[in-house]
Amino acid sequence: MNNLTQMTRLEVVVPARDAPAIRELITSAGATGYTSVSGVSGIGHHGQHSGALLFNEYDTLTMLITVLPPDNAGELIDAVQQLLSTSSGVMFVSDTYVSRPDYFQ
Amino acid sequence: MNLILRAQVATAAHDIVPSWPVESFIAVNPLAGHEPRPFETAATPGVILTRSRDSFLADADRGRIVDADLEAALVERVPELGGQLTIGGKSVSAMSVAILDLKTTQWNSPAAAEPPAPWLDEYLATWVSSYLNPDPLWAMPHKRHGFYRAWRTLARWDPALPRTARRTVVELPVEPDAALAWALVKLGVPAEAVTQTLRTELQHLPGWVSHIKWRAEKIGDIDLLSYLSVRLTLQAILGLTGLPSPRGPVRADETPSALWHRAEHVARSIGGSRADRDDIAAVSRVLVTHPVPDHALTWQKAYELHYLATLVDTLRDTDPFTPRPQLQLVMCIDPRSEGMRRHVEVLPGLETFGFAGFFGVPVRFSRYKARGAINSLPALLTARHHLTEHPTHPAKAEDHIMRGRTRDALRRSTHRADSGTVTPFAFAEVSGWLYGAISVLRTLTPTVQARIHRFLTPATAALPSNVTVADAFTLEERAAMAETAVRMMGITQFAPLVVLAGHASESTNNLYQSALDCGACGGNPGAANARASAAIFNDPAVRPLLAARGIDIPPDSFFIAAEHNTVTDAVTLLDQHLIPQSHVDAADTFDRAQHTAAKMLVRERAQDLPGASPHSPARVQGRAHDWAEVYPELGLAGNAAMIIGPRQMTRGVNLDRRVFLHSYQTELDLDGAALETIMTAPLIVAQWINHQYYFSALNPATLGAGTKTIHNAVGTIGVLAGHAGDLRRGLPWQSVGLGDQLFHEPMRLTVIIQAPLGNIGRIVSRNQMLRNLLDNDWITLTARTDPAAPWHRYTPYGWTTAPTALKGT
Repeated sequence: MNNLTQMTRLEVVVPARDAPAIRELITSAGATGYTSVSGVSGIGHHGQHSGALLFNEYDTLTMLITVLPPDNAGELIDAVQQLLSTSSGVMFVSDTYVSRPDYFQ
Repeated sequence: MNLILRAQVATAAHDIVPSWPVESFIAVNPLAGHEPRPFETAATPGVILTRSRDSFLADADRGRIVDADLEAALVERVPELGGQLTIGGKSVSAMSVAILDLKTTQWNSPAAAEPPAPWLDEYLATWVSSYLNPDPLWAMPHKRHGFYRAWRTLARWDPALPRTARRTVVELPVEPDAALAWALVKLGVPAEAVTQTLRTELQHLPGWVSHIKWRAEKIGDIDLLSYLSVRLTLQAILGLTGLPSPRGPVRADETPSALWHRAEHVARSIGGSRADRDDIAAVSRVLVTHPVPDHALTWQKAYELHYLATLVDTLRDTDPFTPRPQLQLVMCIDPRSEGMRRHVEVLPGLETFGFAGFFGVPVRFSRYKARGAINSLPALLTARHHLTEHPTHPAKAEDHIMRGRTRDALRRSTHRADSGTVTPFAFAEVSGWLYGAISVLRTLTPTVQARIHRFLTPATAALPSNVTVADAFTLEERAAMAETAVRMMGITQFAPLVVLAGHASESTNNLYQSALDCGACGGNPGAANARASAAIFNDPAVRPLLAARGIDIPPDSFFIAAEHNTVTDAVTLLDQHLIPQSHVDAADTFDRAQHTAAKMLVRERAQDLPGASPHSPARVQGRAHDWAEVYPELGLAGNAAMIIGPRQMTRGVNLDRRVFLHSYQTELDLDGAALETIMTAPLIVAQWINHQYYFSALNPATLGAGTKTIHNAVGTIGVLAGHAGDLRRGLPWQSVGLGDQLFHEPMRLTVIIQAPLGNIGRIVSRNQMLRNLLDNDWITLTARTDPAAPWHRYTPYGWTTAPTALKGT
């Protein structure tokens, strides 16, 4: 596809206080980076979440996005799944395509 | 790296609450991991949730809990309780039967005792302490390789381990992940039991474990994986399988015979010998709805409702209209500010407000050319803006700083001399006479010694300077912060002089100094934030932007920062060089008013302060300099409620310095945005503080830090009780009790709001942490739309009218 390389994209939405554990797993998995979006809003299994709060980053939701080669993604997916088995949060996994694969390896 | 194992460690540690170092003490709910579940399920090993039955019965005897409170508590906790019974020919209500049962049925209060530490805990505590101590006499080698690898390298020479174990250490895997995996296999832990095994292991040394969790997130020099690697490999090497797991209280169901016996006792108490089997059966049908294990929390609820009823009864709309005030004082929501506000309001034309003590300006602050910086903002936020100060006379400041650095160098060299291996002997010979004399002076006349010290070492803070808000924030950010502060406080008109007073405590030889400073400023003094906020409000570029947003600050309004010293109760104006000549008289008027208020407040506080007398206020204030004083002040002891609403609700009412007061006016916040900010930030900080006091009072051995008298500092990280063992969490006993008696009444935070119920409900609905706290009974919420409206209580099913006790019937 237009000289693009297939990668695996993980999006994880968790309470901000749980985000350090997810970040630690992402970096331990060898991902070269991630994007963190704090204060995300929406409605989910635990009801409504209002999004960014002016003076409280601790009790909001954070979305972490990372992209890594499909061969390296399996273990990270299993680990995040393990972590989310007993705490609130969601993970979305999808194929994605990147133009500069060396950035993600 | 073993990602699955790392995820299992993170899962096992999920409910552990990070513990901040004592140098920037952050009050937290030590059981915050349980907040998504009902309060009554939060009992953990060695932790109790309420006081004893005897304490509650004593409260009932002295009228602190009355039958109306018990009835209101039962209505909330057992809504199905109702109807009439006939016992021995007497007609009685089911409610009175349940109340009689509460007063007569025995239940044992579990002890909040600290379990004895096994050898492994003591061994690990020593290693962790050595590894993390920031100021050791001898630095631990190999620290740069991480905790597990440093231990693995050094343990081969550790005489505390058997020789065979030392030989095995050499053969352990080099990486902590691999070592932990190896240990789990060696210990025979099946894959499905790994997380639970790790969770059990993390229940040991809870103080160190919670600090390691904080450290892993904020500093990164240690994490729980490396800690568990050392712990479990040691168990595997030494064959320490099956370590006792601290056990939590087990709730046993009541047997039918016990229920019958209980019902018989109550029936005979009411109907005497005329009570027959049918009567006893009828009583048992009532009592089965309120089992004995629930009694403790019903008593607790009644205890809290009594306070709420008393508090609400004192609230009134005292002063709905005031002309433009001549002076306004904005203080932190901290309950200690309530006393100062009440006394200073005696001055006609003075209006006060309550606002989070960081004044909506979250900064990392460093003094002019200082080496370190403090995060002067709530722990809920991350520091993103660096604030410092520029002296108005740079040459003088440089000279001052040079002298200060010389003093520091001298101090460091004497510290090295008195903490070396051999040098202390010679140092004592040479300088012992001088230090001996200083010690005598310091002990017998601490105030004089403090004056001499201040004269010899003037602080940088004494130099006139300006804070660099324009460098730290853009103009738009400054205007937004000012607008937010005004809307949150509900200020509708501005006085010619507006004083923004942060607060700080002052004590000597007190490892818990930070716990007495401003919680909204991350356990730091609030002066920097007050100065920054005043500078923003005075900024001529900010005012037009505020005017464009509908906030007109008159040109003659000037904002000045101040600091409330909570030990001496002096409110000192800061940056006085900035006061325009036109406002000097107003500043003098304020100064006189605060001076009078301080005198009154110190006398008032002396009535509660252990060993103090209202007749000697100077001695109360002198505690700031007394290095032997374990009660410099009582901090936030007694905190029980938070009121969010206009000052008119509380002005003129003595709230005994027990209430967090946040000003709020619905009229300035029609969409509820400011109220949402208050309920999701200042309220959360107040709840953290409240639960810290609550659990430190009930569990001084496990969730509190125990008595100060045996504390030893581990650098600036925390304290040990004695020379070794677990890092202590929570507040010292001297923050909550005296002798063997509590002076802090452990009550969950009662939140009172004056705002439209629909706005409050919507805010709760869209914020999970508020739903957790309210639906699970960690805090309670009582509200009314306006002064003329009735009080309502929040329940998970909607608003209900106030319970019986609240109506005062």
